Amino acid sequence: MFRLQSSKVLAVDMTGDAVKAKNGSMVAYDGEMAFKKLSGGGEGLRGMVTRRLTGEQMTLMEVKGHGTCFFADRASEINLVGLRGETLYVESSNLLVTDGGLRTGTTFTGMRGASQGNGLFTTTIEGHGQAAIMSDGPALLLRVSAQYPLTVDPGAYVAHQGNLRQSFQSGVTFRTLMGEGGGEAFQIRFEGDGVVYVQPSERNTIAGDV
Amino acid sequence: MGFREINSKMIEATVAPGQRLFSQRGAMLAYKGEVGFTPNLRGGQGGVMSMIGRRVANEDTPLMTVEGNGTVLFGHGGHHIQVINLTGDTLYVEADRLLAFEGTLEQGTVFLGSQGGVMGMVRGQVSGQGLFTTSLKGHGAVAVMAHGGVIELPIIPQRPVRVDPQAYVAHHGDVRNRLSTALGWRDMVGRGSGEAFQLELSGSGAVYVQASEEKL
Amino acid sequence: MSTYGTPGAGPVAHDPMTLPADDNVDHYTFCVELKGTQWFMQKGKMIAYYGSIEFNGIGHGRLDRLVRTSFHSPLHASDWVVAEGSGKMLLADRAFDVNSYDLEDGNLTIRSGNLLAFQPSLSLKQSIVPGFLTLIGTGKFVAASNGPVVFMEPPIRVDPQALVGWADCPSPCHHYDHGYMTGVMGGLRAMTGLGGASGEEHQFEFVGAGTVLLQSSEALMAEQATGTPPQEPGVPGGGIPGGQGQGAGAPRLPGQLGDLQRRFGL
Repeated sequence: MFRLQSSKVLAVDMTGDAVKAKNGSMVAYDGEMAFKKLSGGGEGLRGMVTRRLTGEQMTLMEVKGHGTCFFADRASEINLVGLRGETLYVESSNLLVTDGGLRTGTTFTGMRGASQGNGLFTTTIEGHGQAAIMSDGPALLLRVSAQYPLTVDPGAYVAHQGNLRQSFQSGVTFRTLMGEGGGEAFQIRFEGDGVVYVQPSERNTIAGDV
Repeated sequence: MGFREINSKMIEATVAPGQRLFSQRGAMLAYKGEVGFTPNLRGGQGGVMSMIGRRVANEDTPLMTVEGNGTVLFGHGGHHIQVINLTGDTLYVEADRLLAFEGTLEQGTVFLGSQGGVMGMVRGQVSGQGLFTTSLKGHGAVAVMAHGGVIELPIIPQRPVRVDPQAYVAHHGDVRNRLSTALGWRDMVGRGSGEAFQLELSGSGAVYVQASEEKL
Repeated sequence: MSTYGTPGAGPVAHDPMTLPADDNVDHYTFCVELKGTQWFMQKGKMIAYYGSIEFNGIGHGRLDRLVRTSFHSPLHASDWVVAEGSGKMLLADRAFDVNSYDLEDGNLTIRSGNLLAFQPSLSLKQSIVPGFLTLIGTGKFVAASNGPVVFMEPPIRVDPQALVGWADCPSPCHHYDHGYMTGVMGGLRAMTGLGGASGEEHQFEFVGAGTVLLQSSEALMAEQATGTPPQEPGVPGGGIPGGQGQGAGAPRLPGQLGDLQRRFGL
């Protein structure tokens, strides 16, 4: 059972079951807990290959036991997402905890990654259960539909769900009075049907300078 | 007197003649009236011994004596502030997390984790974790900073709480503490994971834990 | 009909119909509505938008007229863009608190790093206090602060790093606490140069009628260059990059740290 002890601390009540959590994110617990390191990238050969590729950016641990365990990471806001068979795509560094029963994997998202430097890979979470994702400041859920496509700064993107197509677009022309560069900034355009989680903050991006 | 919480990151203190405060250097945001700030390397009471204690503990965060007649706003680095009112009991808190406290409180230095016997083993590992801790005793208000706010976890007999030393902020009550290693900690060592060592608190009281493993 | 983010299942999913117009979505995000209108905004503060919005650097030929009437701070123009088009645009800044302010034939001076966006009906000018910008006129602007902004009335002395800005009152003056500076710390620092400057020995003092805006932080937001005024007699900081307003010939007080102190925003 996932519940928010505060907007920045996740409490998980456990009765012998297990959760997967970002390594080092446990801040306190009562009862008896055991910690085991897991490797990211999913199971099997494909997982092994992605682990190699990602340089094990996503290091997870398994926490199992009886009692309440508290998780937090660098004062990030925590958002709970309930999954009923669908897939959640989340920027790997923003995953905090998932139910032990959810499958995690890694997908390659070259387009967005290319602009970010830090996120060539996105973690996918599938199955039935709860996941806790992090954002710098509380994330906003923005709905995408046929009528309302959405454009997002790559640095503010946290996660998305649904049947969405992503494309890169350059939206800005910089020309200043000083005659400085004609640089362009890149944005991600989402079309289709789903929701996008956006944080009120921007990671450093190479090209998302608007 | 006490501290008035203006928002989650700012408090207001009233200073009147004969009622002094101590605050961390640099924590004053603004003041009205005639208020003086005197740096106090000795850090309130405690004398030479507590100064040596702090030197050993690397907790020589300079304190200031705040005196005069007026109101002072305190805050620091955008950190969340938790005000804890003491009514005769003792609060243990790391010195660099102390934003301000009333002069009525008696200050000392204690060593956390000393009751365990694992200290020799972990001293190297947890260095910089500030296991030397300031104690404040008596009646008065204390303002403590934490990264991302704190949660208060009750400690009840037979139900110890284990805390990541890096997320530990403060505790009070009749509480024994020791450093322990978590089950499976061998997997974690060398990964920079806070799970390798835990501060185990048992007895009855409460512990304040922040939403981050970051030291201030 | 989308099945994602349905009501009752966690937080509300917003779309252009439910997002507010020129108002806060929550403490940390502000939504600007564009209906063929324009806003000035600092680069890097747009997190997402619906609709068709174009962003152009200031200096884009077409914008010359607008810039001439509303933007009088040419030397940091490269940090700003003009957003125009129609749609809804979300602004945020490092998860800091974001607030909008309405000026009615008024003036407000704000630390340059805290200003996110403003309507072109306001005009932006450099304050004579280095590092600050003054907005004059009628219109709305959006500013960020580390923690909620606290409004205080003079007389008050403020740690320079906690100052967000001020409205309708005369520019602040410096206040030095001589007791503090000549005390133990000041003496040590004068000898060793260690310790840095802190708000306890030097404050901005406000007197008169007006409002002073404070943030609960001493960690400054990244300083935005406000440019350098031209070098001419009587202009503080004129021609000297970095806005070194204090005359180089001024006698240094004990405990003053020269460049370091200035870098701390004093």
